Amino acid sequence: MSEESSTFAPSTVSYRRCTVNLEQGTVSFQSLPCANLEDVLGGFGRSFQVLEQRTVKNAYSPENPLIVNTGLLTGTAVMTGLRTYFSAYSPLKRSDAGMPGAMWAAGSGNFGNKLKWAGLDELIFEDRSSTPVLAVIREGASGPVVELEPADHLLGLTGHEKIMALHRQYPDAHFAVIGPAGENYQNVYMGAVVMSTDNELKSGEPKSRFAGRGGMGSVMGYKNLIAIVAQSRDKMPPVTSAMRDVNRGVITNGGSARFQPVSQGGGGGTWANIEVLQAFHAVPVNNFRPKGNDDVERLFRDKVEMEFDVFAEACFRCGIRCHNNVFNRTAWGGRGRLQAKYDFEPLILFGSNLGVHQPAQVSELIHLCDLLGMDAISLGTTLAYVLDYNERHPEAPLFNGATFGAFEAIKALIQETGRGGNEGIGRGVKRLSQQLGETSYAMHVKGLELPAYLPDTNPGYIFAIAGGHMSMGTHMLLAKEGVTTVEGWAKAITTTGLLQVGYDMIGLCKFVGAGMGHELVSQAIAEATGLKVPPEDIVAAVRRAYLRGLALELRQGFGEDEYTLPSQVMNDPNPNMTLPAFITRAFIEELKERVWSVFKPEIDELRGAWRDESSEA
Amino acid sequence: MQVTVKLFASLRYRWFEEETRQFPDGSTLLEVVDRIGIPKKELGITLINGSHASLQDVVLDGDVVALMPHIGGG
Repeated sequence: MSEESSTFAPSTVSYRRCTVNLEQGTVSFQSLPCANLEDVLGGFGRSFQVLEQRTVKNAYSPENPLIVNTGLLTGTAVMTGLRTYFSAYSPLKRSDAGMPGAMWAAGSGNFGNKLKWAGLDELIFEDRSSTPVLAVIREGASGPVVELEPADHLLGLTGHEKIMALHRQYPDAHFAVIGPAGENYQNVYMGAVVMSTDNELKSGEPKSRFAGRGGMGSVMGYKNLIAIVAQSRDKMPPVTSAMRDVNRGVITNGGSARFQPVSQGGGGGTWANIEVLQAFHAVPVNNFRPKGNDDVERLFRDKVEMEFDVFAEACFRCGIRCHNNVFNRTAWGGRGRLQAKYDFEPLILFGSNLGVHQPAQVSELIHLCDLLGMDAISLGTTLAYVLDYNERHPEAPLFNGATFGAFEAIKALIQETGRGGNEGIGRGVKRLSQQLGETSYAMHVKGLELPAYLPDTNPGYIFAIAGGHMSMGTHMLLAKEGVTTVEGWAKAITTTGLLQVGYDMIGLCKFVGAGMGHELVSQAIAEATGLKVPPEDIVAAVRRAYLRGLALELRQGFGEDEYTLPSQVMNDPNPNMTLPAFITRAFIEELKERVWSVFKPEIDELRGAWRDESSEA
Repeated sequence: MQVTVKLFASLRYRWFEEETRQFPDGSTLLEVVDRIGIPKKELGITLINGSHASLQDVVLDGDVVALMPHIGGG
């Protein structure tokens, strides 16, 4: 990204794109002026403008591009500025009209930095290769160089094994790869992109990060693109005193503090959510159906620490040690093999929500999902549906007959799915439940499986555009504030909730960023890039980008009936949850009316501007 | 007056899990929190008898107060 002026019009800022045609093996570079502030900020704000220009009826078709890009602050000295975004039409998110939804997934690690330092802001992979390839991006004498190389030697390896094999070949690079799940894209629509971290390359331990949502790894698999290598010298700019102030703001804001280890006065990461939500019996158990008992407490941090060594680590140059890595204890009490990384999502979705409450078993399932390269949310939630179905139909169960808590049988299903042997699970819960004709307890909205927050607590899921808690920041509102009115929810969705997606434009970690505030983001941009972007302009650009995503959903045929929650929420409220059961059909209808009455006129107004921008481009 | 205070997650690791203590009549939730010594910025959710409450709310004899840290997604 280069800018000609600090008091700028977006068109004075340019970004560097490389387009790789995988079918033809051709590579071209362009330096493009930004059409708007969304282009400048980057991430999905830019990639969705590309997707909007395409007519894509099937995610697995040559017309579907895979866009790999960074945010404005990726690769800068701003703390958490590590994000890479993968955007495409998703095999998983699909409208009832049969059209794929536009999606993006975000991941950390050091890949995005290397991509940017090699001289690229964006890579677009067009069409598909007839043979397995890897794309190598490196610094050339006169700019970035991108080459395609055979990748047959990587096939069949886990994501981590691929990363370590590539590390031996390219010691100064970072990697975005697919696991076996992505390779078996025909039967696995939930393949993740597995991204290398410095900790992983140094220790040899499987400490990858994942761009998981929406099956972007499966799109890579369809394209026969097995890995992307970003090779560059480290070019982290020097940290000025003003940047130090910005980073102090990042690290001390409330959003960050809750991720820091308890020993440092922090909240201990997302793990803490379990204890708080359990106080309301609102932790997903047995397919999002809390029982009102204390089974979940076996996954509380202090219980796990009795059995394992828990060590908090951070991403590359990030001061927020949010990774709770769980290690075995050796016979003499030292730190042994890495078991798994504990975050709230995988811990619950492979633990209590499958009826598995033993920490060692939960760790094994998380680890297996990671190695095979699947999205933990999509897989965990689809598995929970299968176990629920089997409990309801003991006379004719699905697959191997696994039920809640049947660890070995669940593990076998994960193995089978990740290797392409179980299309029923691999294609996600929406398709499976529709095939079976039992959709009421299939926990998805618009084809994307729900994260580990009960739908009974979050009607905001309806208006998330790229994953329930990734793209609508309302998933804790009931527990945090006790909001139960249509007015309260409509306001949250149409004002603060949608701003969650902004961090998936600029390159910062969204869950930390949410506590930063746009004033600090504005300062960070000014210090890192010299661009003066007032906070209100950032908010307006984020809002436009969100609305573009919503408009794209409508264009891809998502119908009014699809903007809803799983019907079990309305038809059979869970009596065990102590938070108010406020979501009725009437509530949802009224909420939708209020929210659309805000969003639809804005979308209509923006469509004119989008048409103008696209004709100028 | 006697009030039972329950702490959750990181707060219980650093202070206590549950205690019943004496507080002056008419104390607000903020005064209860101050007496325990928990910095206000560390509080995410506050409940009195299971209902969401603000720090300005007055606590009554026999009430059960629940204090929770900030929580967030991911």
